[in-house]
Amino acid sequence: MDFIIQAIVSGTLMGSIYGLAALGLTLIFGVIKVINFAHGSCLMVGMYTAYWVVKLTGVNPYFALIVVVPLLFVFGYFLEDLLINPVLKAQGDVREPTEIIVVTSGVWYILDNITLMMFGAEYRVVQTAISGKSFELGQIIVSTPKLYGFIATIIVSLALVWFLKSTKIGKSIRAASLDREAASLMGINQYRMYNIAFGIGTAIMGVVGCVLIPFYYVFPTVGVIFDVKCFIIVVLGGLGSIPGALIGGVIVGLIESIGAQFMTSTWTELIVYAVFLTVLFVMPSGLFGEKRDW
Amino acid sequence: MTELEIKNVSKHFGGLKAVDQFDLSIEKNQIFGLIGPNGAGKSTLFNCVAGVYAPTSGQVIFRGDEITGMKPWDICKKRIARTFQIVKPFKMKTVLYNTMVGAFIRSTNPAEVRDMALDVLERLKLADKKDTLAKNLTIADRKRLELARAMATDPEILLLDECMAGLRPNEVDAVLEIIRGIRDGGVTIFVIEHIMRAIMSVSDRIAVIHFGKKIAEGTPAEVSTDEKVIKAYLGESYVAT
Amino acid sequence: MTKETLDKIFKVVLVVGVFTLPLWMSSPAYLQIVILMFWYAYITTSWNMVGGWAGVLPLGHSAYIGIGAYTSTVLAIHYGVSPWIGMFIGGVLASLVGIIIGIPTLKMRGAYFALSTMAFGEGVRVFVENTDKLGPFVLNGPRGICIPLQESFANFQFMSKVPYYYIILIMLCLALFVTWYMSRIRIGYYLNAGGEESEAAEALGVNVAKYKVIAMGISCFMTALAGTFYAQLMLYFYPKALLGLDLSFEIAFISLIGGRGTLAGPVIGALLLRPVTDFSRIYFSSMLPGLHLVIYGLILILIMLYQPRGLQAPLSKFYDWLLNKITGNAVKKEVKS
Repeated sequence: MDFIIQAIVSGTLMGSIYGLAALGLTLIFGVIKVINFAHGSCLMVGMYTAYWVVKLTGVNPYFALIVVVPLLFVFGYFLEDLLINPVLKAQGDVREPTEIIVVTSGVWYILDNITLMMFGAEYRVVQTAISGKSFELGQIIVSTPKLYGFIATIIVSLALVWFLKSTKIGKSIRAASLDREAASLMGINQYRMYNIAFGIGTAIMGVVGCVLIPFYYVFPTVGVIFDVKCFIIVVLGGLGSIPGALIGGVIVGLIESIGAQFMTSTWTELIVYAVFLTVLFVMPSGLFGEKRDW
Repeated sequence: MTELEIKNVSKHFGGLKAVDQFDLSIEKNQIFGLIGPNGAGKSTLFNCVAGVYAPTSGQVIFRGDEITGMKPWDICKKRIARTFQIVKPFKMKTVLYNTMVGAFIRSTNPAEVRDMALDVLERLKLADKKDTLAKNLTIADRKRLELARAMATDPEILLLDECMAGLRPNEVDAVLEIIRGIRDGGVTIFVIEHIMRAIMSVSDRIAVIHFGKKIAEGTPAEVSTDEKVIKAYLGESYVAT
Repeated sequence: MTKETLDKIFKVVLVVGVFTLPLWMSSPAYLQIVILMFWYAYITTSWNMVGGWAGVLPLGHSAYIGIGAYTSTVLAIHYGVSPWIGMFIGGVLASLVGIIIGIPTLKMRGAYFALSTMAFGEGVRVFVENTDKLGPFVLNGPRGICIPLQESFANFQFMSKVPYYYIILIMLCLALFVTWYMSRIRIGYYLNAGGEESEAAEALGVNVAKYKVIAMGISCFMTALAGTFYAQLMLYFYPKALLGLDLSFEIAFISLIGGRGTLAGPVIGALLLRPVTDFSRIYFSSMLPGLHLVIYGLILILIMLYQPRGLQAPLSKFYDWLLNKITGNAVKKEVKS
């Protein structure tokens, strides 16, 4: 019985980190209504940035946040401005232009392979003060970096909710997400809102990067693994829903950790896909999404 | 003979009663108008008849057959066609192609369908633009195309959803003439319209909807002097007492 | 000489050239490259039926290539079924799978459909990569399957590349013919209409979802045939080669870049992009691994930003201009509206 509880604990912690990664995606999905296929690559950029900051300065990865987060925000902001907004403007009346999928995939290819060319394919890891540490809670072993990740997730989520509900920019973003044209008639520059939303989404990936490097390998295609998981989580939890992203993340984390007790990781991967497809067929708006005619 | 019967139809969206126990009978070959203030529920009622929504309660009966809740394509196969308030042409295709899509419901032979489509375009005076891409049409022509497409399905009943919005007075007159011509061809027409002079001059009977409920029905003359109607559209102060 | 005559002459030269290619391109290595180019063009044309006309974005089509390859190969190796028959069976199987997946997913909005096909495609790859035996059928997991050399027509194996060239050429011509023919009959009109404005199409009597599923079935059948062809050409395949996101995405992108929803677009995309990929992979991958993918990504982005309808639009205009120039016609001024 103990190993099930252990699996639940580890799964929840890791799952919350998945949820954090999916948070940026659900924000972008929910606000701009486009699939960002470069999402995983943004995470990869976040991880490499965090890696180099820590490696060069030796600081605690959580202090590296100060550098990583603004950098990633700016990166996301301009990515949206340069590449995605022009497509949205050109396809004004199309709700979800497929060109965006292609453009973001192009960005994904480019980012992953430039990184490959610049840094090589080897798996990197960095030693931090908390790497490999854990503590015991009764019979359960809790991994310290994962626990920090869990806490970071809670903090970021609460901050995001507060931001969207209470600040002017946050409310403008929510307005722009409901109806592009109506928001612009209200004096909101919806494209600037998209830039900000995208920037925030990418900045969150910076946080995830800092959270992951104490215990996760860094390599050019690390984004792909998270990419697919994030899409599944966002759909599971409901597009645009913050609690949905977190709970979806935990569900995926639990499937992986509990499944790992009984079968190999590739079969748990299959179960995740199967659950995803089932949810899509049965409950396409996800657990917390708004009901739409999907 | 009653062509279309709307029996006690209601459509609720959550707590909002968009259409509330609406009753209506339309006779064969009539032009029946539906008017009402904005947001009164006209398009929702249409959509209930056209199969876009299934009514929350009530029935829609066409020549004695129940068609409540049937899908739009099946309703079209029953010879009930509709146009959309915000026109939806297949923009990247020609006028002829657009019309042929409608005509394919009558035959699978492309050559035959092409002739049927050309015939409709002739009658609607759009034939000279048959090779123009829909996206290059003026708004008046797009509305004409919307009508042509629907007519290409050779309907018995035509549902027109505000087909004259945004047209200039001479364009409105042209459309009115076309509508009368369609009726003369044996089609029953159910029309939603906002432009008063248009719907008053062309309809045989008119029903007035307000907050989802029918508040008046009768000839254009009867309806235009009905107290309740005047109150709904213009406010209390305009009622001549 | 009139423009029309010149156009016909060009087309005749092209057809003759393509059909006699092995006579003047004797190097088997180059022939192989052309064969693969046509193979991609065949797949993108098949994909186009769903991705171009039905107006949705399938991102898991490689699964059907895999189904085709594995079905015909397993049947041939273990049951002695001729790959020609196996090809057909694989097609039918892929079609059924596509229809089953299509029924719930083709009703969804674009983004969700794309994600579902991705998830399904990846699911198939993961499954095959980790399955050695599926009931009585040996799939061999990640090691893939090797086809024993046994040259004969019945075994769909030839020593020379030339028969393969003609087979894929005929397959491509058939695919183009099917696409062209469908566009002229009711199903084509209905698919186009449903893909562009589904609400309006439904009001005109089109059961849009049903037609999309039909298109999916046809497309998956055709795509699976390509899997068998590949297996018989290479005599060896493994999950990563034929299944998974990379190939699925490549197919979709090539079609989009060439111009989805048109007859020539997917073919143009394949013929233009494959050489770019091959060229950059051959010459650059040792110095800068992955450079060809960076170039690829850049092309993708540029096309989507500046020519979202695909390359066939400007290329057709250029061809038109060329015809006019050569025959001395005054270039007609386009009326811009």
